[in-house]
Amino acid sequence: MWRSNLQKALKRLHLRESWVIFFVLGNVMLNFPFLKIFNQPTTLLGFPLLYLYFTLGWAISIGVIYLFASSAEPEQTEPDTEEQAPR
Amino acid sequence: MTLNIYYVTAIAVGYAGLLFLVAWYARRRAEQGRSLVNNPYVYSLSIAVYCTSWTFYGSVGKAATSGIDFLMIYLGPSLVAFSWFYILRRIIRISKENNVSSIADFISLRYGNSQLLGSLVTLIAVLGIMPYIALQIKAVVTSFALISGVTHRTITLPGADAAISFPTSLSLALILSIFGVIFGARRLPSAERHEGLIAAVAFESIIKLVSLVSVGIFVTWFMFDGFGDILTRFNQQFPELFNRLFTLHPTEGRGFIPSSTMLFLSMGAIILLPRQFHVMVIENADLRHISKAMWLFPTYLFLINLFIMPIALGGILQYGGNAGADYFVISLPLAAGNSFMALLAFLGGLSAAAGMVMVESVALSTMLLNNLFMPIIVRITPKQWFPVLLINLKRLAIFFVVFLGYFYYQAVGDSFMLVNMGLISFLAALQFLPALLGGLYWPRGNKIGAITGMALGFLIWCYTLLIPSFHAATPDSTIMLHGLFGQSLLKPTALFGLTGMDMWSHSLFWSMLFNVGAYLICSLLLSQSDGEKEQVRRFIGKFETERRQVKSATKRLSKPVTIPQFIALMGKFIGPGEASQAMTGYLKGRMIDGENAVPEFELPAMKRFVERTLAGSVGAAAAGAIMDSYLSDMGSRMESVYDIFSTVRASLDQSREALYVRLKASEIINRTLDLQTIMDELLQLLLKEFRLDVALIQIRSSSDVPLAVQSYQGCDRRPISPEHWFQESDPYVKMAMIDQTTHFVNDINNLQEIITMPKTEAEGFISFAHIPIYREGEESLGVLSVYSKSIIGLFTEEFIGLLTSLTGQLAQAARLASEMQAKERERREKEQALLANARVKRDMEIAEQIQLSLLPAEPPLLFGVELAGRCYPAAHVGGDYYDFFKRDDHTIDLLIADVSGHSVGAALIMAEVRTLLRAQSSRAVSPSSILETLNSQLYDDLTRAELFITMFYARYSAATGRLSYANAGHNKPLIHRLGQQSCIELDAEGLILGIKPSMVFEERTITLQAGDTLLFYTDGIPEATDQSGELLGTGQVCHHLSQQSTLTVNQIADSFFELVKEYSQSTTLQDDVSMVVMKIVS
Repeated sequence: MWRSNLQKALKRLHLRESWVIFFVLGNVMLNFPFLKIFNQPTTLLGFPLLYLYFTLGWAISIGVIYLFASSAEPEQTEPDTEEQAPR
Repeated sequence: MTLNIYYVTAIAVGYAGLLFLVAWYARRRAEQGRSLVNNPYVYSLSIAVYCTSWTFYGSVGKAATSGIDFLMIYLGPSLVAFSWFYILRRIIRISKENNVSSIADFISLRYGNSQLLGSLVTLIAVLGIMPYIALQIKAVVTSFALISGVTHRTITLPGADAAISFPTSLSLALILSIFGVIFGARRLPSAERHEGLIAAVAFESIIKLVSLVSVGIFVTWFMFDGFGDILTRFNQQFPELFNRLFTLHPTEGRGFIPSSTMLFLSMGAIILLPRQFHVMVIENADLRHISKAMWLFPTYLFLINLFIMPIALGGILQYGGNAGADYFVISLPLAAGNSFMALLAFLGGLSAAAGMVMVESVALSTMLLNNLFMPIIVRITPKQWFPVLLINLKRLAIFFVVFLGYFYYQAVGDSFMLVNMGLISFLAALQFLPALLGGLYWPRGNKIGAITGMALGFLIWCYTLLIPSFHAATPDSTIMLHGLFGQSLLKPTALFGLTGMDMWSHSLFWSMLFNVGAYLICSLLLSQSDGEKEQVRRFIGKFETERRQVKSATKRLSKPVTIPQFIALMGKFIGPGEASQAMTGYLKGRMIDGENAVPEFELPAMKRFVERTLAGSVGAAAAGAIMDSYLSDMGSRMESVYDIFSTVRASLDQSREALYVRLKASEIINRTLDLQTIMDELLQLLLKEFRLDVALIQIRSSSDVPLAVQSYQGCDRRPISPEHWFQESDPYVKMAMIDQTTHFVNDINNLQEIITMPKTEAEGFISFAHIPIYREGEESLGVLSVYSKSIIGLFTEEFIGLLTSLTGQLAQAARLASEMQAKERERREKEQALLANARVKRDMEIAEQIQLSLLPAEPPLLFGVELAGRCYPAAHVGGDYYDFFKRDDHTIDLLIADVSGHSVGAALIMAEVRTLLRAQSSRAVSPSSILETLNSQLYDDLTRAELFITMFYARYSAATGRLSYANAGHNKPLIHRLGQQSCIELDAEGLILGIKPSMVFEERTITLQAGDTLLFYTDGIPEATDQSGELLGTGQVCHHLSQQSTLTVNQIADSFFELVKEYSQSTTLQDDVSMVVMKIVS
């Protein structure tokens, strides 16, 4: 039940824009202001903060791609998905 | 601890054998059509060729020295995966459509098949990748040395008496080259997929992941007590280093620039490195694999990096410092005494290096062949041995690429860390980025801009990275310290005085500034060539234009090329077998008969196909050059189609002109029904709108009549005769009539030999078309022919389409007109018939009047006798006749006659009878002799008219009361005598008049008494029939006469008419009814 709702929500979000937003967001997160926030010589549960930030952030981003890509899959059989997207 | 060198070598050789087995199996499966590699998992694993020995060894080294920023190299590609859904898909689609064989091909294709650009990309790629291949050689050689305990450059075989020197790096380079040749250069077509290579690479990707994760687990949980343990112990032992490694170092005055640089470089590298482009684009089997690879590949990167940090920290803990950190992966298991783990690590590293070198060398050799060798080769006339030469050149190129890396390693090898060598290559590959992205998304980006930008970026890369890398061992050389020519502004690591940056960020900044800057400025200032514009449409507006392209080609071949010629051309480069196979495959989908000439509109598409097929082997730029030189050898060339519809297209496939002409044509057709006017105006419209010189229509009225010119418009209107020049087109016209397709010639100089048209040519016509006029499913009505004196290649598919639709409308109009004509003719005929009928009827009415007037208007008065005569013709005219002739005061002649039939002929005979009788009436002759005379007079006429007459002639003398009479076969008159029931029949011998030339009639006499009523009648009365066909009969007539005898003669006569009408129950008479009633009064 929740899964199909999630799928629906993802499908709604599955736009060219979403990918661009994530891409830009990732770039922002891996650059100056954000890196400065996490660039602290402290540890969290014994793990260095920046290391944790990178590792968890990475894992989350993979999860996001997974969800979006798998929700997009049925559309992929359509050969012109990209071109049908509004320009 | 080290392992036996033979043992390690045997394992390595065994592993290589396993790789070959995997590749062989994958190839076999592919040949059987059950591809092993055609799935998203293998595709993702093949992309993981990104993880080379740099990742395998170098990441740990980087992590142990500068810390966590090593992750940037993997976060970048992971981030870029978000964009694959659009960018990568688009690149793959374009590449597949154009049989692109490398990134050099791709970029040069976008900028108008520029050979110069292709060569430049190749040069940058080959030189740029050099350090990267050196890195692999160095990593494998070092790890081999570590595990087997031999010195770096040579192997001293332990068993031999004398130490034999054996250069490991050289042999490794040789082995890797051979790998590349076997896996990647078996066959020439490089745009097709190498299933064996990909299977081997994917297998290697599994090995390196398993190997590195295993070593990680071994170090983390067997050498230490897990993740937390390593971290805590490290934090305790090296608290300062701990903080240094786990943070970025903005304190060194560089901010976050190094990490951002690495992120940016890796983001570009994932697609721009030739081998990445090769596995992701060229080797992609299915676009749908991308969406899975988008998360599978980042997952792979994530997993392979999971244990880098623990291994690095464990290594530092183990050795107390980061010396030799590049090889912790192998040295840690060795230090722990676990030879299996060490061997696994060695194999992992070997896999990583071998996979990279294989794919990279294949990709680069393709680029070398297609973009550096080919431009020279295409200048030579193609020879039969070309395919052999090409494939061997490609193999040679593989050796060249690997050995270039080897020499670089010999030159700088030991002075650099692994990662740092790799970054040099990344930065070189990044020079492709502006041209590639601009090419995909910026329509104005042009060739000059791409070349200038790339060349400048490349020069700066050379100066700021490549040259310093050679001087890495001697950092105090003049050029490094004081710059070129002693100019400190030109110091390679601080160009134009830019300091405070690491050498990669520094090089990145300057090279990208010049690259992007030059690209933008040149593109904005200069314009694109035609070839480029065409490619821009394919790359950017690709999909809308593609559809239009199919609709109407904008180019045509000035001289047609046949299919065998195309096959022969392809055969020279890819081998005859493959060439004809490719052509067969192409033709199958297009319904073109391989035997006959190719339809003209198919030629450009076929040329494009041949070019694409060639591009698969020799690259797009070379393929274009080959095709151009081939065509010019043939005396043919691509020329612009005369664009008859030059204005903006109003709809997808129709120009405004075409719509206008269609509109005008239907206006003409609907305005009138006169076919001649329609044809004339239609032809004039065509002449006016398109630059035609003559247009004519030939039509046949039915299928067995030859065609005749119905309308001729345009110049040269001389009398149409069999000698007229247009008659030379007759074979075309006839073909068009029969097969109902348009036949056209776009250039009279390229006419097939069968038909020659000297007169047409002499008149100056150069192109013409014959379009059949027919309705769907019906025979052709005729042919529309149009001729042009000025334009070669006038007849495009679109124009022919327009003309065909016009002739369709014309056929409809012609059909309509002929239907209208038929209807009109029918109506007129009917009218005529009615008119004639009416005239006849009027004539008959006149005849009736005349005939009635021939009968006595009223009977003569005779003392003692009452007379009444009646004649009711059944039709207008009839053959009945009665008359009275008063001879003197006492004597009267009565007669009643019946000419057979009711025709006009009968009426005329009756008139003749009357005339003859009147002529005789003055002569005192007996009734019998009157009949005899009459018979002899009428005989000829009656025989000729095939008629005959019955007649009763009587003469009554009132003085004597005697009635003398003669009968020529007429109904016997009845006499009713007062007081008697029955009637007296007046009978006398005699034949019908007109049977014999001369006849004798009996004459009898009867004396009448007062009160006698005589009835002379024709057969219309007794032969009247009732509904059941029963005759009235003489008995009834007699009975009626006796009943009515008391009435006046007129009343009696009328009552008989009523009787007949009543009896026959009808308003019309079946036969003429005539009677004479005579009553003797005294």
